[in-house]
Amino acid sequence: MKVEISRRKFLQGSVVMSVVGATAISATSLLSKGSKPERVSFKNTKTQNGDAHEIATLCEMCVNKCAALARVENGVITKLNPNPMFPKSKNMLCARGNAGIQSVYDPDRLKYPMIRIGEKGEGKFKRVTWDEAYEAILHGTDKFPGLEKILDEEEDNRSSLLFCAGEGMAEHTFKQFYQAFGSANWLNHSSICLQTVASGYGVTIGAYPLADLDNAEYIIMAGANRAEAIVTPDTMDAFKRTKRRGAKLICIDPRFTNTAAKSDKWLAIKPGTDLAFVLALTYVTLTEELHNKEYVAENFNGFDEYQNSVISNKYTPEWAEPITGIKAKDIYTIAREFAAHAPKAVYYPGRRSTFAKNDFQLRRAMAIFQALHGAIDTKGGLVFGSTLPLKEHEGLQPLYEKAQARAMGKKTPNEEGHTGYDDCAVVSGGGSWISWRNRYIEDRMEYNVRGMFCYKHNPMANMPNTAKTAQMLKKMELVVTIDTMPSDTVMYADVVLPECTYLERTDPIKTFGGVEPSFAVRNKVIEPMFESKPVIDILRGLTKKISKPLFEISKKYDEEIQDEIEDSDEESVYAEFDLTLPFLHSQEEINHHSVAMYIGAAEKLDKDGVFYPKQDKYYKQLSVNEYQYYPENKKAYSIKGGKPITPSGKVECVMESFTSKGIDAMPIWRDEYEFNVPKGKFKLLTGRHAQFTQSGTANNTMLLDLMPENFIWINKRVAEMKNIKFADMVEVSSSIGKTRLKAYPTEKIAPDQVFFIHGFGQECEALTWAYKNGGNDNTIIEDHIEPVYGAAAMHETNVEIRKV
Amino acid sequence: MARYGMALDYKSCINCKACETACKEENGILMGADSHRIWVGTGEIEGQYPMLDIVSNTFYPSQCQHCEEAPCEEVCPTQATYYDEGGIVRVDPEKCILCSYCMNACPYDARYVDNRTMTVDKCNFCADTRLARGETTTACQNTCPTKVRIFGDLDDPNSEISEVLRTREHFSLKANLGTKPKLFYLT
Amino acid sequence: MKIRDYIPMREDFSIKSLLSFEKTAVNILLAAVILGFLALFVVGVAIYLQHGHHAYNVTREHPWGLLIGVYIFFVVSSTGLCIVGSLGDVFGFKDYMMISKRAIFGSIVTIVAGFAVIAFEIGHPVTMLIYNVVSPGLTSAIWWMGTLYGLYLTFMIVEFYFLLNNKMKKARIFGLTGLLVGLAAHSNLGGVFGFLNARQISNGVYYPTYFILTAFITGIFIAFIMFGFRYKLNFPENAKKLLMGLAKIQALLISILIFFVTWKMLTDIYGGMPNRAEVAIHILGSWTFWAEVFLAMLIPLFLIIKDMGRNPIVLFWASMGGMIGIFFMRYNLVHDTQLKPLQMLKLKEYQLAPQWIEYFPSSTEIMISLGGLGLCMLLYYIGTKAFNLDETH
Repeated sequence: MKVEISRRKFLQGSVVMSVVGATAISATSLLSKGSKPERVSFKNTKTQNGDAHEIATLCEMCVNKCAALARVENGVITKLNPNPMFPKSKNMLCARGNAGIQSVYDPDRLKYPMIRIGEKGEGKFKRVTWDEAYEAILHGTDKFPGLEKILDEEEDNRSSLLFCAGEGMAEHTFKQFYQAFGSANWLNHSSICLQTVASGYGVTIGAYPLADLDNAEYIIMAGANRAEAIVTPDTMDAFKRTKRRGAKLICIDPRFTNTAAKSDKWLAIKPGTDLAFVLALTYVTLTEELHNKEYVAENFNGFDEYQNSVISNKYTPEWAEPITGIKAKDIYTIAREFAAHAPKAVYYPGRRSTFAKNDFQLRRAMAIFQALHGAIDTKGGLVFGSTLPLKEHEGLQPLYEKAQARAMGKKTPNEEGHTGYDDCAVVSGGGSWISWRNRYIEDRMEYNVRGMFCYKHNPMANMPNTAKTAQMLKKMELVVTIDTMPSDTVMYADVVLPECTYLERTDPIKTFGGVEPSFAVRNKVIEPMFESKPVIDILRGLTKKISKPLFEISKKYDEEIQDEIEDSDEESVYAEFDLTLPFLHSQEEINHHSVAMYIGAAEKLDKDGVFYPKQDKYYKQLSVNEYQYYPENKKAYSIKGGKPITPSGKVECVMESFTSKGIDAMPIWRDEYEFNVPKGKFKLLTGRHAQFTQSGTANNTMLLDLMPENFIWINKRVAEMKNIKFADMVEVSSSIGKTRLKAYPTEKIAPDQVFFIHGFGQECEALTWAYKNGGNDNTIIEDHIEPVYGAAAMHETNVEIRKV
Repeated sequence: MARYGMALDYKSCINCKACETACKEENGILMGADSHRIWVGTGEIEGQYPMLDIVSNTFYPSQCQHCEEAPCEEVCPTQATYYDEGGIVRVDPEKCILCSYCMNACPYDARYVDNRTMTVDKCNFCADTRLARGETTTACQNTCPTKVRIFGDLDDPNSEISEVLRTREHFSLKANLGTKPKLFYLT
Repeated sequence: MKIRDYIPMREDFSIKSLLSFEKTAVNILLAAVILGFLALFVVGVAIYLQHGHHAYNVTREHPWGLLIGVYIFFVVSSTGLCIVGSLGDVFGFKDYMMISKRAIFGSIVTIVAGFAVIAFEIGHPVTMLIYNVVSPGLTSAIWWMGTLYGLYLTFMIVEFYFLLNNKMKKARIFGLTGLLVGLAAHSNLGGVFGFLNARQISNGVYYPTYFILTAFITGIFIAFIMFGFRYKLNFPENAKKLLMGLAKIQALLISILIFFVTWKMLTDIYGGMPNRAEVAIHILGSWTFWAEVFLAMLIPLFLIIKDMGRNPIVLFWASMGGMIGIFFMRYNLVHDTQLKPLQMLKLKEYQLAPQWIEYFPSSTEIMISLGGLGLCMLLYYIGTKAFNLDETH
């Protein structure tokens, strides 16, 4: 069998070269590059017809985790195909999923452990062995301090180290390290992701629900763009059959997105005013008594109060029209049509970052509106679905006496007597990234935080105000990053630990709840290339190196430990603090253990990547494209007989507890929510794209071939007045910075708004194709903080545009 | 002997370009604006914000039509372009002299030059990759999130594509040219 | 030299004789131009051999570029010279006998130049030679055109051989056959475009017939130029007579051509065929079309009619301009056929929907094209040195 110039050989060639030139490279920047080379595919041979085997794995090109079958020929991954067995991804793989091969064979990926030898952020590293890297983390070098020094100086305050992680199947593995380490400072993606939507639904109906778009007859998709922000199975369910089967799709979006293009009706809304739209829908529903009165009487808390609020505040469609820009008659029609189709009607919850400061209240209003029709936990409405239980891998959570609580402001009553945190009302498990960061660089911490571990996370590129993030990373004395690519954040690292890509590792089995619940696993497709390792192996090595020395520090400062040792013996006390414990077993062993209670599951997951009870009986092919996973009568449309799953068992219209924190107990409209742009400026919108996942895919040549760079959408007529033509370079500036990219004049956007997709314009030179390719939104998005959870509000920035 | 064709439920297309990427990975297509076997096209939106014409933004997935009266096959001076036993219009790179006549003659812009062999290349319904291995779907069909494509044998009355074409309205592109395309757009 | 036993060459022909010419400014300039063009040819071909079609500005949407236009320019010239040459030796018009040999030689030289250019446009010329025979595409106008032109070249060479040997009867047989094959080849070249049902602007009978007409016109332009050089614009009476005759024919042909073009435009624009009118209107808006109309049609016609063809010196210059016009005529034909994109949708998000296909030749294409001209001039010059191209009795 011949695979012409295989990628593997190509890359192996480069390994040899780097080893030979290692000493020469180490002294100089690893990042010096000439002009941008032409984009090439790292597999430019077609799939061959000889020996090949297929391995079931899960995609990691975005958060969806679609099931894939990797075709391997001669040790080279030549194709990723959809795995039809997975009910969540239903036999599909998107453009990114297909382009995943390129992420494995990307010549820019991190190949070896490295430690910093230049100035922070300069990107000068030295290649080291894994042991040298772990050693540097423990003892530091002349350029940066190690853990030992930091913890000794901070007297074993474990919280002087920050841990942050991006979303992923192995996030939990890394979190176990954080828990065992004993810090209270954990920041993950949630506050720059879907914190407010998840919590808004959570407190109101008990959980962030799924939507049964497969059976819904009427769908309001507001502020969600499922055609471009692909979510499985929602995207397929919403568009595969919508028109043919007759489900009506109403798209509410300031931009004319691909979702709008597939909708029956697209209504342009002013950014940040969705709450007024939902309140007006609710007003029509309540005044015309369109809601399910029986359901409401049985399942609502505080309904009368909410009804009074909506009616007495006169949230009429006529009131909402000037605020939202949506005609009153459309609002009446939608409210009536929704009610006519309920409970097979969905006000789609969405799954996105926080855009406006009122997002939490918007989500509450949406949840209540949906529940008013009894359209939750029911076929065709919002559903909770069932989840197959999985045996959790036991972690280690030792108590360190000296570890301080999360550095997140004090609970001091503010001037109005509210007792929330300084930065936001509620601090969730994932924390508020930007308020933590801002507090840190403004020296408003209760204690010293001096270092951070950063796993699969790119704060430089993923949150508003890049300059402040850079400032934070520079201030951190010890930054350890675990990543696959030399991201903008990795450039600020002191120690760089290369993780292998998702196709080179087995990750923890995950249980996927829903109408058709299942387990799925990411199986290793090929051995890790270069010296990269899965995070579990990295942590095994790291904890082996640091566990004992760090315990010695605890022993020095922690009186409880000293007492315990006196009472028993050091060895048994150390056993409670042995950081290596969570990582002793291989991922494969842990996985088999976690599904041991299901007969045949482990083998099935190894082979097919997907398992659920009675799969053999239920699973069958229905047509060339379609499969059955569960028979109709076995689908988990309803788990509580249509009731919400809040602790009270009721839909919570009024959250009294929030009042003391300065948060409205019910969704109400406030004048400051109104959309407002100063003359001559534009509201900067951000959004998703079907071919790119944030900054993570920025260097993927296959995807760049589909869209080489991002352009800024500007209204055609406005562009004409400003003499901006297609592909003209423009400078976009806000109060915090500026960026440059090309212009795309279009009527798909309002005259007072502009838009470009996130994830472009990377600053790291080591990313051959992503480096300075297009515009970087986070250099100009201001760090506005949403008041409830401290989420980053991304649509609150006004910008100016200048042709350059 | 089969007669392969493809039905496209194009109204389900969301322009995600999974098909284009799958095609490139499966068939080892080079990068660059000119090199694509399949594509999704759309017009620029018409109207003025917010009164936009949704229909003007319809997505049309497309590729070689595998015409039964293929102009490209007729104009080839060396019979490098031929119909294979499945009725698939293919190019034999051994015989192609790169006169580019077929590129000019194809009404669908379905042909391009492969920069490695410097011969004309085009969609072949994965005939030398997936079909050769006995698979029954093309890469583009298999990967499609909204399942736009149905590939199959038009001569088999029991095939899904035959069934769909019997029961649903459909049209072909540039039907007036008499090329008898085997790509069918379902309405 | 054995070769002289078969081909009657000039007694004084040698490499040395090639280098000896009257050192007038014009001649030196011409020599420099020929050498310069040949140098460009070498450079262009070298770049092509290194980079293949990447050295050309041809694209998926515009696969045929300048070289196809130049090839057509040369083969039309060849057919035209063949027609002009046939007037005397095939059809027996005595007055035109004096140009026959020269024109037939010219037709050989131009088609060789055409082949030299197309060899670097066809991606795989060797494959072509093999599979043209092994698996002929009989439905392909290109196959017929190529094959017939191959035959045509053979017949022309044989005819020229007999002309040199003054075997007029045999020359006539081969001349007539060659002319018919040439016309067939040539109309097939028109058919290459006429068969394109994807390209409404070119589809139909127009180009196959129009090519014969324009070939004749081209032949007469070149006849003026060849005689102009032969007699250094100091024409003897018999040459003047011949040229006057040709000029009158030319006037008639150009008038017919104008009639053709006018009706083509009228039917294109008002014929109501989908998307043909907009292409025609777009063509009317391009300067290259008007270069063609003025240089190859209106100016020569005016100058001929003005003196009823009695002023060969003026017409020599008009013919020089005419050939530039004819060049644009060929270039326009190729480019205009491909003007309208076959795929009018945006394939990428950040792209303007294609309106018209843009094309401008690359430097390599221009170098090879000028090289073809240089080669043509060089071969003709060698011919004038090697053979007696004047009428012999």
